[in-house]
Amino acid sequence: MALDFSLTDEQKQLQQLARRFAREQVAPRAAEYDQNEKVPWELVEQLYEIGLLNISVPEEAGGLGLGLVEEVIIGEELGWADMGFYTIPMASELGITPILIAGTEEQKKRFLGPLTERPSLAAFALSEPGNGSDAAALRTRIVREGDEYVITGTKMWISNAKEADFNVVFATFDPSLRHKGVIAIVVENDREGVSFNKIHGKMGQRAAPTYEIVYDGVRVPVENRLGEEGEGFKIAMLTLDKTRIPVAAGSVGVARRALDESARYALEREAFGRPIADFQAIQFKLAEMKIGLETARMYTYYAAWLADRGDPEHISASAIAKAYASEVAFEAANQAIQIHGGYGYVNDFPVEKLLRDVKLNQIYEGTNEIQRVIIARNILKALR
Amino acid sequence: MKYVAIIRQVPDGESKIKVDGGRVNLEGATLILDQMDEYAVEQIIRLKEAHGGEAVVVAFGPERTEEAMRTALAMGADRGVLVTAEGYVDPVTQAGALAKVLAEEAPDVVFTGGQQADWDSQALGAAVAEALGWPSVTWTTAFELEDGHAKATHDLDEGAEVVRVALPAVFTTQQGLNEPRYPTLPGIMKAKKKEIKKIDAAELGVSGSKVEILEQTIMELERKGKIIDGTKDPAAAAAELIKLLHEEAKVL
Repeated sequence: MALDFSLTDEQKQLQQLARRFAREQVAPRAAEYDQNEKVPWELVEQLYEIGLLNISVPEEAGGLGLGLVEEVIIGEELGWADMGFYTIPMASELGITPILIAGTEEQKKRFLGPLTERPSLAAFALSEPGNGSDAAALRTRIVREGDEYVITGTKMWISNAKEADFNVVFATFDPSLRHKGVIAIVVENDREGVSFNKIHGKMGQRAAPTYEIVYDGVRVPVENRLGEEGEGFKIAMLTLDKTRIPVAAGSVGVARRALDESARYALEREAFGRPIADFQAIQFKLAEMKIGLETARMYTYYAAWLADRGDPEHISASAIAKAYASEVAFEAANQAIQIHGGYGYVNDFPVEKLLRDVKLNQIYEGTNEIQRVIIARNILKALR
Repeated sequence: MKYVAIIRQVPDGESKIKVDGGRVNLEGATLILDQMDEYAVEQIIRLKEAHGGEAVVVAFGPERTEEAMRTALAMGADRGVLVTAEGYVDPVTQAGALAKVLAEEAPDVVFTGGQQADWDSQALGAAVAEALGWPSVTWTTAFELEDGHAKATHDLDEGAEVVRVALPAVFTTQQGLNEPRYPTLPGIMKAKKKEIKKIDAAELGVSGSKVEILEQTIMELERKGKIIDGTKDPAAAAAELIKLLHEEAKVL
């Protein structure tokens, strides 16, 4: 009888709050932020006011110290309203997580405490112009000079980079050592030599700001290093093992939205003298969406539950959840457009945005191909 | 000072309501704090923030009303008193039981929703005031405390009047009174530890409802589909259309 799928009373209330906020505040403005490619900072402020921003900051640092199940509850609701917006708080958690994993108590207080005192974000800078999936091939250099490190290099595709207080930067002190030469270090944005170039022309998720960051001989005190020299790559991987679960949660939200919009439209739209919902061709699409939605949600919660329990099985489970949910959501968005016909192809209806937005969920925080590598490695590791 | 908000839990306006065998079936419906009562909760929290004192939520309803009460506590109310009774109980009987709770709590100001979203009743606030022998101001759109009195704006059909009322008194809410805040996540976590005192309605002398509901049906809206033939005399047809839009549809 140990199996129990129920949420606690507080989790149900959290879900109600997130759902209401998503419906009343986020969804009505999603199209505007998408079209203007503008950062919805007022929504970030509201999210902070109601306590849904940076929820994993531990109690010792002044936060709520909540886990991935809570993050998943929020992620589904915000993803339903606007995946582009949800990427902002999601990417902030991505910047917080390496500090939770490898930070000292002093570092947690110093870096995470301020995130609870005002609307503010963290960011995570791993990818570079010439490396993505092959994360160990990074070229950003870090050189120790006395009590300081000097960082030089370029980071690419970094969500929140400029809006954040700091970026957790991964840099190498010896590229020939590959993953063993990486250092994780917190670099505050106000240090000299840090500059940002906003990336324009994104297909979707246009509310979420994405940057190239240039570090030009930036001096950072040694106290900002997370873990030891050479542990940076491991810290990045341990982080992503957790933070790809919220990507799955946002995808579940997108899939739910695709089904909501499609079912409503199918009942309203008539063809051959009756609602198109009467035709099996449409019913089967709705049923497929529902099968995908329910299984993706269930598995996403399962992965979050494993991670919150500290069960190492979450490494494979989070990869499965991320790849599966983002593919389910992409297909749901695709079929939602098909059900809407021509109306689905224009931006008067919200479904074309679902597809543009959720395409990124198959790419960021580890492409779905990399997720499959992780899943396969875990299968084979047990046998070798 | 002590401020009370009387709240109710009602189905969310966006959820689908079913009727089975002449009875509304709330199974599967999302139940929320009545939005008209949200103004009441917001008002007592603001009064507490501005003048100090205690903000208390009071409710009459089934056990599950506790969920709506937790929402009010998560918004910032201090504690709750819930009079429990399952099934339908008319507002006058509810008011009798609530009056006993309020007489003991002895608040200075009581707020409640101007209208209840489920039964569409507007009786509860006035009935509570009647049972206590306190003045009541309905459809309040503005409220201020002034040296032991309250100054309130009362909405009328075609305007408003401003009244000065001796306290204690009961006020019912109207849209525009304030902008209710969202509960917060830290508020939700704190609300878990706040006190909700439960009293069985029978202990307050409630033995049933004075009104019994025999049957419930869902209102069906049908378009009249009135078509004016404009092919023969377009000018007369246009005049007829204007007349109908003015007199029947009342949109012109």
